[in-house]
Amino acid sequence: MLETDKSLIDAHIGGDKEAFGELVRRYGDSVLGYLVRMTGNREQAEDFFQETFKRVHEKGHTFRGERFKSWLFTIATRVAIDALRKRKRQPVVSLNQSAGCSEGNCDELGAVTAANCCDPAREAEMAEQKEQVRRAVEQLPTKQRATLVLAYYQQLSYPEVAEVLGCSTGTVKVQMSRALRTLAQRLPDVSGVAK
Amino acid sequence: MKRHLTEQELIEYRFKLAADVEIDRAGEHLAECEHCRAELEKLERRFASLDLLREEVKVSEDLVSQVVRQAAEPRRVKVAASKKLPAWAGAAAAVLVVAVLLIVANRPETERGEPFAKAPPEEIAKKGSAITGGVAKLGDRYAMGGTSELVDGIPEKPPFAPASAIELVTLPRRDNVQLTIYNSADLTLVRETRNLTLKKGWNWLQFMWANTLIDPTSLSLEPKKQRDKIDIQQLVFPARLRELGRWLIRSEVSGQVPFEITYFTSGLSWRAFYMGTLAPDEKTMQMKGYVRVANASGEEYENAQTRLIVGKVHLLDQIAELAKRQYAYGRPATGGGYGGGDYAGWIKARDDLYALPQDESRFMTLNVSNRLGELRPKEIKKEGLSEYFLYTIEGTETIPDKWGKRLLSFEAEDIEVESLYKYDEERWGGQTRRFVKFANDEEHNLGDTPIPNGQVRIFAQADEDGSLSYVGGTSVKYIPVNEEVELDLGTARLVKVEPKLMDFKTANYKFDRRRNIAGWDEIRTWMIETTNTRELPVEIEITREFGTADWALNLVDPASMAEDAISYEKHDATHARFTLKRKPKSKWTFGYTVTTYHGTRREEARK
Repeated sequence: MLETDKSLIDAHIGGDKEAFGELVRRYGDSVLGYLVRMTGNREQAEDFFQETFKRVHEKGHTFRGERFKSWLFTIATRVAIDALRKRKRQPVVSLNQSAGCSEGNCDELGAVTAANCCDPAREAEMAEQKEQVRRAVEQLPTKQRATLVLAYYQQLSYPEVAEVLGCSTGTVKVQMSRALRTLAQRLPDVSGVAK
Repeated sequence: MKRHLTEQELIEYRFKLAADVEIDRAGEHLAECEHCRAELEKLERRFASLDLLREEVKVSEDLVSQVVRQAAEPRRVKVAASKKLPAWAGAAAAVLVVAVLLIVANRPETERGEPFAKAPPEEIAKKGSAITGGVAKLGDRYAMGGTSELVDGIPEKPPFAPASAIELVTLPRRDNVQLTIYNSADLTLVRETRNLTLKKGWNWLQFMWANTLIDPTSLSLEPKKQRDKIDIQQLVFPARLRELGRWLIRSEVSGQVPFEITYFTSGLSWRAFYMGTLAPDEKTMQMKGYVRVANASGEEYENAQTRLIVGKVHLLDQIAELAKRQYAYGRPATGGGYGGGDYAGWIKARDDLYALPQDESRFMTLNVSNRLGELRPKEIKKEGLSEYFLYTIEGTETIPDKWGKRLLSFEAEDIEVESLYKYDEERWGGQTRRFVKFANDEEHNLGDTPIPNGQVRIFAQADEDGSLSYVGGTSVKYIPVNEEVELDLGTARLVKVEPKLMDFKTANYKFDRRRNIAGWDEIRTWMIETTNTRELPVEIEITREFGTADWALNLVDPASMAEDAISYEKHDATHARFTLKRKPKSKWTFGYTVTTYHGTRREEARK
């Protein structure tokens, strides 16, 4: 039977070495995906990922049995926003790198679907559009970006996003609305482009 | 709902951001309104592009293992390396956004705690045992470049790279900064001193030059104290990190150490300009020289000692181009200090630039007060280099980015000047030009130093109250000491010269054997009317061109003229130059006849 998040955390606090690994595997892709979209940089996202689970490990005893996913994303958001705020003053790492960029293996921008792989013109167009989208998302204010990534890419409900960000659902909707209105001006029209 | 839906309403409908009742109402409207449906489709096509970033992100098993392994280890003690120093808070405007990563590898394990590890456990254990004989677990970005022995308590081999950027901290403000601006080449040498806090062992110092025009290949770092205990090992430019470099420093001491950072930047410039005020009699002039320093380098230099170089330097590269590069080129060799190649060449060039003579002599006095309102005059000091002159502005100046600052560089009174009007149709058409002449020498209360090229504006006192009127302006080239300078102040309005051709005839025809004309004379009579409507006497220089080297000139009715009224000289083969002095408010005409010889008459005339 699938163990609940709470029971895994309890087991981890109790010294079960497997439990923490299970939690990391269960939410790893989701958290890393969130952090990659927040930072626009795989390497940085992995740093934040480690930092996030380090805090989960250290603060696990404070988890009171609410929704673990929200609690986890709250930590990840805090790690990302703190670091990005610091980075804003001191932009050390470019945000232009591909999300698929990992240590020693940096995918080309605009990795394309198999359907497009043999059409260089299409590939280039896709890469350009993808870069345009990435830039548009990166240029959003941090809270709007966090809201968009959580709600759109991580598919959290608005109340869940509110819980993660520690604000009201109304605030989340306002942030989301602002983000989308900004994006509506900046995103490319992808009619006819295979997604 | 009669009206069309706004973009916001469409977004709120599409993403269910409005209240249910609003969403229902919008839905009903869309069912009936083709226009709004089209708008919604357009929006949806745009938002569909968001899915281009929806690629699946997978956590590698290595990363999961690292996180799990870390959790399995004892709780981590706070690592001192990540703490910010309070005094560093004001460093936001620092030229180099620099960060120090303190490498924990060289610290006792009990102090160090357990940093995150990325490498497999067996690899870590291997590395750790090689370092300390115990277990020193390092993240792969802390990883050592192989096995390492301790020397003076410091691992022999440096770490491969610093830890995560999360742990970066900024440096304190500059303690002082000196700018040497080479105007001719858009080049400024910056030397600044900062106190770095080092830990005993390996330290990473990270700097970046984003949004500035700093040449990253020119960066140099040197300790000002404890030189025997601090070794700058290498400067690396990490892959994929733009506009960023890291110095690796091996330190046998811990605590604050003053460092000097030097580099070239572009975007700082200076230019000289001058204001001269003629005395009422126009025989003397007061002159003020100014220097305007402008900063478009992307960096603010606070309380900078500013030095200005007059003269040209030869550059292989344009600094601005180097600064814009994504990655610094010509990476210095690692180990053993600054290495070789281009970098060593630069170090030599930099040392050459530093090699300035020490005997400074006073150059000019500044009357400009600094920003604190201090009234004590500043000085600009002069140093002569082999082919440059160096002007050092006394004290310090703050030059914010995108700002300029004007400084008074010198002031000289009672410079004797000659006021002269010139007329030369070949050069200026029918205009009379006004000139002011003086020399950069002691006799003219100048001559301490060459005068840099710049714009000159001359004013005259318009009335007894001291009101000024603009006389004219020009640009001057570099004026060496003891050199005479003539300022062209433009067209004169109050002094006119009008030549009139009164008579023209030919004479003395010579014929060859076939009775063709072989030689002749042309005789022209000119009357030159000069008008001086000024209140002052003026001197006028009139140059006339004859189009041939064979000419003879006679004044018309010289007996009627005063002896010193006019004189002329052969200026060159084809020109004569008349000099005359005219009284205030006067009109005077003189005439001359010029005979030019042509053909065989030239030979005869020469005889």
